[in-house]
Amino acid sequence: MATPDLQQRDLQAAATSHRGDRVFNRAITVAAFVSLIILAGIAVFLGAQALPVFQELGFSFLTTTAWDLTTDPVSVGIFGMLYGSILLSVVALVIAVPASLLLSIFIVFLAPKKLASVLTNSIDLMAAIPSVILGLWAFYVLNPQADEWQRLLNEYLGWIPFFENASGNFLGTPFIAGFVLAIMVIPITTSVTREVLGRTPPDLINAAEALGCSLWTMLRYVALPYGRGGIVGGVMLGLGRALGETIAVFFVLKLVYDTNWYHVIESGGGSVATLIVSRFGEASGPFEVQLLLAAGFFLFLMTLIVNMIANLIVSRTGRLKK
Amino acid sequence: MTTLFDPSRIPTLQQQERIRPWNKRTKKFDVTVALAVIVPLLIVVAMFQFSDIPDALVMVIYLPLQLIASGIAASLTKGKRGIGDSIIIVNAIGASIFSFVVIISVIWSLLSHGLKALSIPFLTQNSTYISPSTPLEYGGIAHAALGTLLIVAISALIAVPIGIATAIYITEVRGKAVPYVRFFVQSMSGVPSVVAGLFILTTLILTGAINTSAFAGGLAYAILMLPTVARTAEEVLRLVPDDLRTGALALGSTRARTVFQVVLPAAKTGIVTAIILGVARVIGETAPLLMTAGKNDATVTNPFSDPISTLPVSIFENVAQPYPDAVTRAWGSALILMVLVAILFTTARLIGRNKVK
Repeated sequence: MATPDLQQRDLQAAATSHRGDRVFNRAITVAAFVSLIILAGIAVFLGAQALPVFQELGFSFLTTTAWDLTTDPVSVGIFGMLYGSILLSVVALVIAVPASLLLSIFIVFLAPKKLASVLTNSIDLMAAIPSVILGLWAFYVLNPQADEWQRLLNEYLGWIPFFENASGNFLGTPFIAGFVLAIMVIPITTSVTREVLGRTPPDLINAAEALGCSLWTMLRYVALPYGRGGIVGGVMLGLGRALGETIAVFFVLKLVYDTNWYHVIESGGGSVATLIVSRFGEASGPFEVQLLLAAGFFLFLMTLIVNMIANLIVSRTGRLKK
Repeated sequence: MTTLFDPSRIPTLQQQERIRPWNKRTKKFDVTVALAVIVPLLIVVAMFQFSDIPDALVMVIYLPLQLIASGIAASLTKGKRGIGDSIIIVNAIGASIFSFVVIISVIWSLLSHGLKALSIPFLTQNSTYISPSTPLEYGGIAHAALGTLLIVAISALIAVPIGIATAIYITEVRGKAVPYVRFFVQSMSGVPSVVAGLFILTTLILTGAINTSAFAGGLAYAILMLPTVARTAEEVLRLVPDDLRTGALALGSTRARTVFQVVLPAAKTGIVTAIILGVARVIGETAPLLMTAGKNDATVTNPFSDPISTLPVSIFENVAQPYPDAVTRAWGSALILMVLVAILFTTARLIGRNKVK
């Protein structure tokens, strides 16, 4: 039995014909805009804190790498931290993107149904592990392991510039922090790529097989191109998460006020979010708190832009087509 | 009599989705695959046992070894094109094992370290007069557990009604701004937790409007909880059939009554799932609480007056302390936090499963 589709017009006519409903509608509409109000509020209030910092320090706040309030004038800048956040995220994505793609290929195309659902559930559980617990685990369990891996990397691949290490200290490196971030990014990226790959039309898969495609060629020429947009979106969502993550990185990264350009297994790196947490507890006064709020403003801007692009891509590739 | 065309034999989309043409197997194939798995394993085990190559290096050698073995097996059974498949399959299995290893390692270390801390005083006392060097027999985290529950409750009271209202706007009111509202809710879910803390700090605490307290922490948590609740509730309300809505409207019910007496009750279990997922999203967040709720060794029950300790912050305080007992306390708090998360997670899953049936 077919019911007529509800048109938006009909609903609206029904909705506005009664006074109680008009009140209800207005209340709901106001509540729906709370998220917009909060986003705007964050931008305005943190921006208001960033403005005086900018007036005092100018663009050097974004281009220098230092955190010294004892000198006059103060030498303060978050370039190393912004760059560090990006470096950590790149390390995280280099690990997480292939891992999540392979995981979703395994879940969608290869694993028996039971194993696939066990794997899906445990990856969801991975997403539910609080970052403070992951940080605790990384500090006591991962650190000694990662130390050993990095020594091996340095010993056998040390001639590649990325794997240079002059200090002989392999703890607190961007690699370890990026690895922990990867563990947080994998569930986010996997849940999107899994959904996208799972939506490859079976007809296309069968057609590819009929033409003699192997799994590899099917993935290469059918499934991956079909889901490309969604995969990119999922990666961007993961990037947003990695840029904003605070506590777990705080435990495993040695924060240095110096730009670590690409030495991923050299001790010391930067991260805006971690800078905020680590300086907040011992802030020397209102001016330093204001500096941290300004740093928070730029962190907010960076993650907001990444997330908005990600959401645009993801929603354009089919989430709405359901 | 046999019919030429039997509609029931056309595979449904559901069945088609499970069609995996590359999974055709023969006995020769099974044997070769088994060999391809066993031989590299034996070599690696032998290297562990009888050579002095460091263990970590042996683990690194294993992957290329397995790839070569599988490649040979694939080219023997399926020819040249099988090699690409074998690379994908080995790496996919490797990635799955990797994720299992991470999860099991986290849970195992939580249990093995955390259980040492568990005791009656640990679960029932607060930390007044307790320093990091105090032995484990004294002091506990009851105050922090209470703080976490208090803050989560406050944030749920704020975020759940707004989140559900947002979902109702998208699925029921269907105003003109629906795409924008969805977009902003999604963007909001990417706000870093530390920024949520800074926002409450600069607007309400530094201006003197409210104290560093459970209420401030609850507000920061609410910012993080809102998008999760809104998005999950939206998906749930979407599942309510339009027939129910038209039926209610046809009986002369107003729009508001339709929502409150028909749509929401029909989606009751799903709404509960949305709330649980929202709580699970925020319960372990640490950074915003450092700025908004602070810490306190004593038990605090007034949500507006004093700083208050929470489980994540008490973990944060005890990590990397030079005293083993403090570290054990951190593991104990982490275990309890993880148990809370696991309970929420499982409940949401169980409710969700009943919903689908």
